[in-house]
Amino acid sequence: MRASRSFSREDRRVWLVIGGIALISLLLIPLSQALFGLRFTYTVRVVALGGAILGFISGALGCFAVLRGESLLGDALSHAALPGVAIAFLLAGRELGALLIGAGIASWLSLRFVAALLATTRIKRDTALGIALASFFAAGIALLAYIQSIPDASQAGLDHFIFGQAAAIVESDVRLASGAGLVVLCALALFWKEIKLVAFDAEFAGANGFRTGMINTLLSTLIVVTIVLGLQLAGVILMVGMLIAPGIAARQWTDKLEQMVILAAVFGAFTGGAGAVISALDSDIPTGPMIIVVAFILVLLSLALAPGRGILWRQLRMRANRRAFAALNTRRDLYRYALAHGAADSPVPDEFIRGVGDRSAELGLRQLQGASQVALGDAGWQLSESGIELARRDLHNQRLWALYRRYAHELDLPSVTEDREAEIASLLPADAVAKLEAKLAERAEA
Amino acid sequence: MMILERLLIEFLLNFATREELNAFLRSPQNTATLIGGLIAVSGALLGTFLLLRGMSLTSDAISHTVLLGIVVAFLLMTQVFGLEGDTSSPWLIAGASLAGVGTVLLTELLYRSGLVRQDAALGLAFPLLFAIAVILVSRFVDDVHLDEDAVLVGEIGLAWANTNSHCFENCESVTVTEDHPAARMTRQCVNCRDLGISPRDERAEFVEVCGNCGDYSPARAWSAGLLELEPALVFFPKSIAVTLVMTLLTLAFVLLFYKELKLTTFDGALAQALGFRPAVMNYSLMALVSLVAVGAFDAVGSILVIAFFIIPPAAAYLLTDRLALMLLLSPMVGAAGAFFGYDLARGQVFGILPVADGIGLINRAFGLELVEAWDSSISASMVLMIFMLFLLAWVFSPRYGLISTALRRANSRRRFADQVVLAHIHNHQGTPQAVSELRIATLHAHFRWTRRKMGRVLARLRALGLIRIVNGGALLTERGEARAQAFRKTMLQANNLPEDR
Repeated sequence: MRASRSFSREDRRVWLVIGGIALISLLLIPLSQALFGLRFTYTVRVVALGGAILGFISGALGCFAVLRGESLLGDALSHAALPGVAIAFLLAGRELGALLIGAGIASWLSLRFVAALLATTRIKRDTALGIALASFFAAGIALLAYIQSIPDASQAGLDHFIFGQAAAIVESDVRLASGAGLVVLCALALFWKEIKLVAFDAEFAGANGFRTGMINTLLSTLIVVTIVLGLQLAGVILMVGMLIAPGIAARQWTDKLEQMVILAAVFGAFTGGAGAVISALDSDIPTGPMIIVVAFILVLLSLALAPGRGILWRQLRMRANRRAFAALNTRRDLYRYALAHGAADSPVPDEFIRGVGDRSAELGLRQLQGASQVALGDAGWQLSESGIELARRDLHNQRLWALYRRYAHELDLPSVTEDREAEIASLLPADAVAKLEAKLAERAEA
Repeated sequence: MMILERLLIEFLLNFATREELNAFLRSPQNTATLIGGLIAVSGALLGTFLLLRGMSLTSDAISHTVLLGIVVAFLLMTQVFGLEGDTSSPWLIAGASLAGVGTVLLTELLYRSGLVRQDAALGLAFPLLFAIAVILVSRFVDDVHLDEDAVLVGEIGLAWANTNSHCFENCESVTVTEDHPAARMTRQCVNCRDLGISPRDERAEFVEVCGNCGDYSPARAWSAGLLELEPALVFFPKSIAVTLVMTLLTLAFVLLFYKELKLTTFDGALAQALGFRPAVMNYSLMALVSLVAVGAFDAVGSILVIAFFIIPPAAAYLLTDRLALMLLLSPMVGAAGAFFGYDLARGQVFGILPVADGIGLINRAFGLELVEAWDSSISASMVLMIFMLFLLAWVFSPRYGLISTALRRANSRRRFADQVVLAHIHNHQGTPQAVSELRIATLHAHFRWTRRKMGRVLARLRALGLIRIVNGGALLTERGEARAQAFRKTMLQANNLPEDR
């Protein structure tokens, strides 16, 4: 991550993406009304708003889980919340605040459990996470089954925490989530510098006197709060997707943490809102899973399209490289054959050039023909004037490089990295090139 | 499957009568424990290799995707091919295993793009596949076998009721046709609905319909009262055969490819260089993990099954360093957990401590009014019991346990204290500073220890006969001198220093 303050082209691009997604999210409501005839009842509005807010928070915090290589921690933490929910229900009844606090305590305990296991045994991190996940989840299931066996307990709705039940979200829930989310985001902003440092280089932070243990705990606690808030929407099984998918998508577009967090938050808000709106179209589509599917589509789009590192651009670049390379090699072959059989413009038989280059010759010939550097005559392929000129310059360049490799020390030339694809004149100073030219002439005479 | 079950029953009938066998299988506890134990054994065997390869959470991903495989195969069977939906059909199992291997491939594809880390790839892939499965279930499937409860906890407690019947004597299949004496013929109006008239109307036309015609297996024929002689029947729970086959396959795989698995697990590069195929081993392992996850789906659901893969090997990992021993211990831990888990679900910890007493204790301590009767999910209780065994291993393991580690630490701290005090006396006795350096009353200050700690160390050294106290100063005895010399020698060797005296 670079620390430049100025607004580069890349920065503008990222802000453009952020603005675009935000615009699309805002237009989502009128668009879905116009295209699908969706009616925005009070319930749909509340669920979509709740989804967007929770997506915003989990997107922002999820970035840190992704960057620290702890994506699966979210999975373990969300599964581990279940026994807390059940115990809180047994103690306090169906009070959302109490259930969330119970969930938070349980997943925080699982965090400590994993840390203790890692500190005192040789069990690896992934196994420790798996143990915490499975055992806490089993405790939760056992407690839920016990609650169900109690005759007159109104336990209906507790298992919504497992798969998420967005339709059950009411206005007070949204208020609670936005209040708690605001606290989380404020804490993130307040300790931004410390969290950033610890996320990227905990050892360096420690050496500079930051209390890494405390900051780590703070960050983990913030992630726990985020997960607990999101449980109602996505449920314990899918929460991990909601947490990390926006972060992974945002990571593709930028190398700066600030931009990544903001972009992930916007992505998260979009997936939360869009998932809720799509599932409102058909009562049989559950909201939580739909949010995950939308998030994954965003990730795929980002992986494919993100400028610079996207798979699509990479494929295009590789194709261009392959073509340029084929053209270069084919031109060299044509030129050498032509020189050996008389003049530079003597025709080269088709069988020869295809026999030497096979499919890459085919590709190269097509490229050269397109650039009118070569033409197919009766006797074979014939280089045009521009083709001959390019081939001659290329050969000359290669010869100079060969001399450079052999005589650089003897002629006291400055040392550069050998790059035969580049013009030697663009890498070496003029007097050095002149020395090489002289050497070339001298050897040609001899 | 049926042939296999029959062979198995014939084998078992050598040891027990038919009545005993039926009584044994009819008990929910026996069947649940047997199935849980078999799943635990196969999961623990495969999980051992997953743990050693650092792939424990892959089982998490696979078990989630298996749900997608089951749902898709189920939909294909019922909606496209028009077959009867049955979650233990071999086609379903094969499809779901393929889906499991597919997850691993999807994860690797994401990871190989170089844009996503391995853990993030896993964390992306399985929520997605699980989400798709949930959407498909709630959109297209209205079948009881695939509801949310089955996904979470499975139906191990009901496994005894879902049986195949096998007949051994007096086996008479009955086909009831219209002229069979037991056929129940009824009249049915064929045009009443079309015309909107009642059957009493004159225009009504009737046909004779047979209400109970069809093919009757011996078991159904006997229960329908069509047979005079009672057939000798054995009712065999379907899940047992499935889990047994799965366990035998796993066992055979581990035994046959023990060498290959060991080599590819510990040194993939060497295995490759020697001409083994680590990738083939890897994918076979993943296919088997998927197979076990599918087989266990009916019994314990798609999430709790990962406990059977991860926790028993982790417990065994804390107990031993040898692969062979680990492969022996982890199935034992899993099976023991399954055995005690049934008791826990019915309210007994290890068959001796009633859970109700514990709840009562909590009620009295905190003034609560929780219901004391504990009746809970069997599969979750099995996992909790396995976890409890893991905790026991964590605390009491002779080599890596909390207690033995603490004892070892305390021991080495004590030995170190003894040695530095001996070395201190050895260095100073006979020198001019001996009086000030070796005075008992101030000795602790030289080490910046408390007076009490120094008192303990000196008392121990005197009791061992390594030092004696002369005129308020400490001196080495002959044995103490020898000990100090030996310590000095080992320290010099450990630091690669030459002997100077």
